Amino acid sequence: MTAFMLGDTGVADTFAEAFPMRYARLVITAATEAWALEAARSMTGFATSVIGCKCEAAIERPLAAGQTPDGRPGIAVLLFAMDREGVGKRVLERVGQSVMTCPTTACFDGEPHAEKTVPLGASLRYFGDGFQASKVITGRRFWRIPVMEGEFLVSESVGVGHGVGGGNLVIGAGEHPVALAAARAAADAMRGEGIALPFPGGIVRSGSKVGALTSKSMPASTNHRMAPTLRAQIDDTLVPDGVGAMFEIVIDGVSEHAVREAMRRGLHAAAAAGAAHVTAANFGGKLGEFHFPLSELRDPP
Amino acid sequence: MTLTLTLHTQPPARVRTAGLTPERLRGLHAAAVAAMNLRCGGDTVAVGDLFEVSGAGTEEERLVLAGDLRRFDEIGARMSSGEIEVRGDVGAWAGAEMSGGVLRVFGDAGSRLGAAHPGARAGMTGGEIVVHGDAGEEAGAGMRRGLVVVGGRTQPGAGLRMLAGTIIALGGLGPEAGLGNKRGTLASGTAVEPLPSYAFATRFSPPALRLQLLRARELGLTVDDALLSGSWARWSGDRTELGRGEILIFDDDEEGQ
Repeated sequence: MTAFMLGDTGVADTFAEAFPMRYARLVITAATEAWALEAARSMTGFATSVIGCKCEAAIERPLAAGQTPDGRPGIAVLLFAMDREGVGKRVLERVGQSVMTCPTTACFDGEPHAEKTVPLGASLRYFGDGFQASKVITGRRFWRIPVMEGEFLVSESVGVGHGVGGGNLVIGAGEHPVALAAARAAADAMRGEGIALPFPGGIVRSGSKVGALTSKSMPASTNHRMAPTLRAQIDDTLVPDGVGAMFEIVIDGVSEHAVREAMRRGLHAAAAAGAAHVTAANFGGKLGEFHFPLSELRDPP
Repeated sequence: MTLTLTLHTQPPARVRTAGLTPERLRGLHAAAVAAMNLRCGGDTVAVGDLFEVSGAGTEEERLVLAGDLRRFDEIGARMSSGEIEVRGDVGAWAGAEMSGGVLRVFGDAGSRLGAAHPGARAGMTGGEIVVHGDAGEEAGAGMRRGLVVVGGRTQPGAGLRMLAGTIIALGGLGPEAGLGNKRGTLASGTAVEPLPSYAFATRFSPPALRLQLLRARELGLTVDDALLSGSWARWSGDRTELGRGEILIFDDDEEGQ
């Protein structure tokens, strides 16, 4: 089952299975980075899994003032959904409720060269109740929506790209604190351009399997084969000897390459932080278009 | 290689330069451009009789005009793409009714910059004009869309009957700016008394203007940081018209309006 050792860390002979998704990148700017972060956190809240939240979203990275369209500090946010329509609905809801409402913010398209777009300001403008105005600046239309603070400026539309969702690593160790620290180190190493880790702190402790043993209507249920407390109770456990806790990191990325490299960073960071065992979740390879064998991640980043 | 026209002889009368746009010169070599005729007073004159032509019209669609071109009207008029860079002053109607592209004037512009021709429904409908010096009377008259940024001052009547679009005068708007303005934006980098048909609304930091000022900076104008982050007084008008336009006046004085 162990494909190779990375120091003292056993790496399983398996692969992560991922799916094609659509994504949008939003650049949220504000008077201060703190306000941009408030909006970004609110916008990416309750967006951990498409199963229950209809989208997956996370902060991609902070942007310095010089890197944003309006020269103010900003936060880039990635939002993933199963199709373009889904991206459009979720972006509209979330920008309307979490960004427009947040003091001093403006919201821009972070994927301006995408072929396909979904409307954003083009729909949100109706909040302006007829008092909205638009400006075309360097060929792109922006909407000025009058609000109690002054004006909310928002891009007319946002680009939608082809991304990859559901890349993952499962990190375990004998002692719970070591496992969590290793997962944390992996998550920190994985974040970066083109990567969203949608779960709290980037880490999910309740990894799921498709369907359920006890119900036909449940879309997902606990990944019991990776639950350490059930090791002695089931015949097909995936928890190796000596492993007491496991954490999963789910990775959505803007490309297959971005996901693979994030997994590589995460694997090596987890090993360096004392993980005893690293594996990945898949569905037997039949469901997902993208496979990421852990054996391909042996070389350090 | 950029197509460059350097003035060597002043014309005997005013010259209409509307045909010298990047999209119409695309792919032409220097000799062909020199042989083109321009209207000069009641007569015609060959480009080569007035300008030294070098380079060729390229796919990048960039045209450079150099010299004192105050007698040349309609430079960049009706252009729809590409870039014209003028190293010197230009005459009237520069960029009139342009629909796209960039016109950069490293000097002063005459009257009716980016404006509508008599009888035309609208002036400029797109693109960007950047003037480093001053602009003459009625800059942006009848404008519908696009951006005009003047580094210096505009003479009286900027934004006359403008429909929409943006005119920014970093050195300040002249008197009677925005008469008959429907939903356009005029911005003045220095204090100015708006027409009585405008009403004071508030002082704020307009986010869209910030983007436009950054764009002006990108196009080579010097834009003070204070203009980007400071507050502007918003006056709404022209109330004798639709009244959805605005004059933004830089006003970073704490006492202010």
